[in-house]
Amino acid sequence: MSLRDFIALSPLLIVATGALVLLLQLAFVRSHRAAFATFLLTLAAASVDGWIRLPAVEQATAVTTLLRVDRFSLFFCLLFFFTSAVCGGLGYRYLRARLTGNRGTSTTLSSCPSSSSCGEFYFFVLLATLGACTLVSSQHFASFFLALELISLSLYPLLAFPVPLAKWGAGRDVSNREAALSLESGIKYLITSALATALALFGIALMYAATGNLQFSSMDFSRGESALLIGGFALLLAGVAFKLSLVPFHVWTADVYEGAPTPVTAFIATLGKTALLAILLRLFSEFSVHILETSVAMISLLAVASMLGGNLLALRQRNVKRLLAYSAIAHMGYFLVVYLVIDRGIAREATIYYLVAYTVTTLCAFSAVSLIDDAALSDVSNPQVTTGDDRNPFQQSFYRGLFWRSPTLSLCLAAALLSLAGIPFTVGFIGKFYLITAALDGQLWGLLGALIVGSALGLFYYLRLLLTLVEAPPIASGQTAGVRVVVDQPHTSAEPAARNNPLLISRSGLGLLLLLTALLLIFGIYPQMLINGINAL
Amino acid sequence: MTLLWLLALLILGGGLSWAGENLRRGCGHWIALTVLAIAILLLGRYLPQALDVLAAEPKPQTLWWDHIRVPWIPRFGISFTLAIDGLGFLMLALTLLCGLFGLVMTWREIRRRTGCYLANYLWTLAGVVGVFCAQDLFLFFCFWETMLVPMLLLIAIWGHEQRTRAAIQFFIFTQASSLLLLAAIVGSTLVHYQMSGSVSFSPQQLTATLHTQFAETPYAYWLMLGFFIAFAVKLPAILVHTWLPDAHTQAPTAGSVLLAAILLKTGAYGLIRFTLPLFPAASTAFSPVAMALGVAGILYGALMAFSQTDIKRLIAYSSVSHMGFVLLGIYALNSIALQGAVAQMVAHGLSTAALFGIAGSLQHRLHSRDINDVRGIWQTMPALAAVFLFFIVAAMGLPGLANFVGESLVLIGTYARFPWFSALAAVGLIGAAIYGLKLVVRVLFGPPPAVREASDATMGSSGLMDLRRRELFALLLPLLLLVWIGLYPQPLLRQSAGWSNLLATYFTAPAADGDKAASLQGAAP
Repeated sequence: MSLRDFIALSPLLIVATGALVLLLQLAFVRSHRAAFATFLLTLAAASVDGWIRLPAVEQATAVTTLLRVDRFSLFFCLLFFFTSAVCGGLGYRYLRARLTGNRGTSTTLSSCPSSSSCGEFYFFVLLATLGACTLVSSQHFASFFLALELISLSLYPLLAFPVPLAKWGAGRDVSNREAALSLESGIKYLITSALATALALFGIALMYAATGNLQFSSMDFSRGESALLIGGFALLLAGVAFKLSLVPFHVWTADVYEGAPTPVTAFIATLGKTALLAILLRLFSEFSVHILETSVAMISLLAVASMLGGNLLALRQRNVKRLLAYSAIAHMGYFLVVYLVIDRGIAREATIYYLVAYTVTTLCAFSAVSLIDDAALSDVSNPQVTTGDDRNPFQQSFYRGLFWRSPTLSLCLAAALLSLAGIPFTVGFIGKFYLITAALDGQLWGLLGALIVGSALGLFYYLRLLLTLVEAPPIASGQTAGVRVVVDQPHTSAEPAARNNPLLISRSGLGLLLLLTALLLIFGIYPQMLINGINAL
Repeated sequence: MTLLWLLALLILGGGLSWAGENLRRGCGHWIALTVLAIAILLLGRYLPQALDVLAAEPKPQTLWWDHIRVPWIPRFGISFTLAIDGLGFLMLALTLLCGLFGLVMTWREIRRRTGCYLANYLWTLAGVVGVFCAQDLFLFFCFWETMLVPMLLLIAIWGHEQRTRAAIQFFIFTQASSLLLLAAIVGSTLVHYQMSGSVSFSPQQLTATLHTQFAETPYAYWLMLGFFIAFAVKLPAILVHTWLPDAHTQAPTAGSVLLAAILLKTGAYGLIRFTLPLFPAASTAFSPVAMALGVAGILYGALMAFSQTDIKRLIAYSSVSHMGFVLLGIYALNSIALQGAVAQMVAHGLSTAALFGIAGSLQHRLHSRDINDVRGIWQTMPALAAVFLFFIVAAMGLPGLANFVGESLVLIGTYARFPWFSALAAVGLIGAAIYGLKLVVRVLFGPPPAVREASDATMGSSGLMDLRRRELFALLLPLLLLVWIGLYPQPLLRQSAGWSNLLATYFTAPAADGDKAASLQGAAP
């Protein structure tokens, strides 16, 4: 490797170095805040490096036979850095809310012994980011597989990240419940993901046997559709479909999403999927899927099943995280449409735009959910409040009337929901517009039909959540007078008081959420900016 | 520029009245009223052009009065194009006047979260104004979808008993069908791209390519169907009308007024403005089906209206019936019927807005919409009853009032091509008389229910407030307009003449000569 190669790989190297530094730092300084600072600093340095290098990269630089750095991969590295920073920021709020509890008790809890064990969170996030960046830069199945495993291996501990046990009243129940769910989600993902990885690896081996090479660009398809090739491709596809949670490989999704700490759910929903989708774009355009007639049928089947299955399964969900999980399944299904028209000019642009749209929207939705959860925790730690179904901050009933309590927060969540549903002037609509254009361009009538039916089904559950936000809060006195008036009145009991107070959201969390919402609207109202950027790649 | 100001004013005004209401209770309504008044004045800027049209028939070159075009997404040739012509002027005037009427009529009705309510009310109007002005299909679609969001909230937050269900049903019906519209729009653009090599969402440029031999292919028919279904759901045509009775009944009074008077018209407007000019050949082939749907809607709506006991539901079904006339008139594909359809749109907007307003004020007073509870109001509230009677007979199509103009022109225009459809539709007029008279007999003149009198015994029969002066003024607006249009419809008909004459040229000589396409391109705003 020459110096040129090192320079080409510099964003990846920065992240790797940052991860190592963070690990060393944690051996000496167990401060949560310092760990977070190192994490942000690493990402900032890597982003600045990537940002500067992006216009300068004229053509692709192959770094050994394994990696290849070009504008495409740098662009996605930047997107992943952004994703990680957001998820890390959410994680910071998440961990802090659990470490310190509500503000009144923070002094007594700072000495909590378990509070020192959370710096590793950022280490794993950095590792996963490194994996994602390596994945989009890979041009060889060896690096592809290594990067995929790096992502998965750092996701396991994140999913089951030990929630510091709270030592006070009602909060302990919450903590225990969270810890159990999170452990369950981690183990579920570990077992199923291991199986999928094995399948994918076997698939790669079979394809190697059929084509005689592992580098994407020099695989030899001249021998046509042998059973080896088709079998290998099918197994690889199954492994990939598992990671993307496509129907029928989706069974793990809802449980894992529900159990994981919400920032990690956001992470797995965005980075865990977009990295793979981005590399698939490169993979498929190297050996155009249309070489394999069978694969078109397989992908179409997966797409239609995911679009319809995801949306149908989401219809009856009352848990917001599970709902978003099924909605993600449906969105992955929409996404596959683009891969079937990969040889068309619009496919690349559509893929990248939709990836950005999906990332921004999903991050926005999960940020809102995560911040609501954190705020609810400090509510719940209030010992006089009872527990119950509508006390669970992920149940839909918890969101009832939220708009009248915390308008800004709810508006952001509403914007995310509208974007997921694909209403104009949000980024999700432009994404959907691209998909419909791609489907029409490739004359995929069946898939277009499934897309339309799926979107119509999707409207129902997005809307139900949206309307839950604006429903009247469940108190008797709110029926006749405005909430503003009610708040001013003296309360007869503590319960309505708790229901009407705005959720306490930290300013930094709200700022993050507003930033995401702003991006969501800007890219929706003025998409040309992003389109120009994508076409320059 | 005026159009842009109009749009910006309504959007900003919504936010302002929300903020104003939060600062001081009762302030929001006045802000909203001011905003609407300024909007109407802004629209009044086009009065000279409207008067010009009365003097001389507009040529295709002078069809558009004003336009604004700003590139928006150059990658897809999408521009932010707003334009206005006689047809658009009529629709905008209807929108703003009905918006004003709805605001004044229900001044005191909403007491909960009033600021947010007013904001959503004005934003719905802004969306509709956008729909009536947009001359770029992508932009049109954006307004078409987003105008539903504030409407959805109006129904879902301030509606009656079953509001959430009705709101979701309304939204899903219209959004699902508009996905078809989006697919059809993109499909037309792709055809244009394949034939000319450039991407454009401008309806004029699309017209030029779609009128070539492509118009004969089955694809054109499918694309036309995509447009038709989306607009038919909003219209609503029979079979896809099921969202309407629920949404109208559950919406708050002002929401019903907006839905009935304005939102339904966007469907008809879409058919006239886009479906017919883009796909003349396919529309001609499809017209018998559409007209059959129209006639079926007229008869079915009248029948269903007759069997309702909920006043708002009855009016809602009568809308299905009246909009059937509009559909019939549009697909008769000649200038007379088309102008009749436009006149019917305006007349129906005004009369139904008033009917829903009165039904709302009855509910406000009596806390019931049931015909069996609301009886004999002539004795208790004579002024309100008299005005109610006027609007009922207007909706029945009494000669001398606006609805009669629209319906008779539609029937005359249809008779030329399809006498049987015309004859069947005329039966619908009798149906209208039957359900109208049912309303008159039961609600106005029936014996007042004994139960209520017993409970109101302490207050005496005068406990019911007759028409307030505010309501009377509000109702005078549609009343006078209906009489004026009924007696002297020429100014109104002239406004839509420019566009309907242009359309008629496509259908009298549907040959694909570039001449026609060129003439329309010349008319590009």
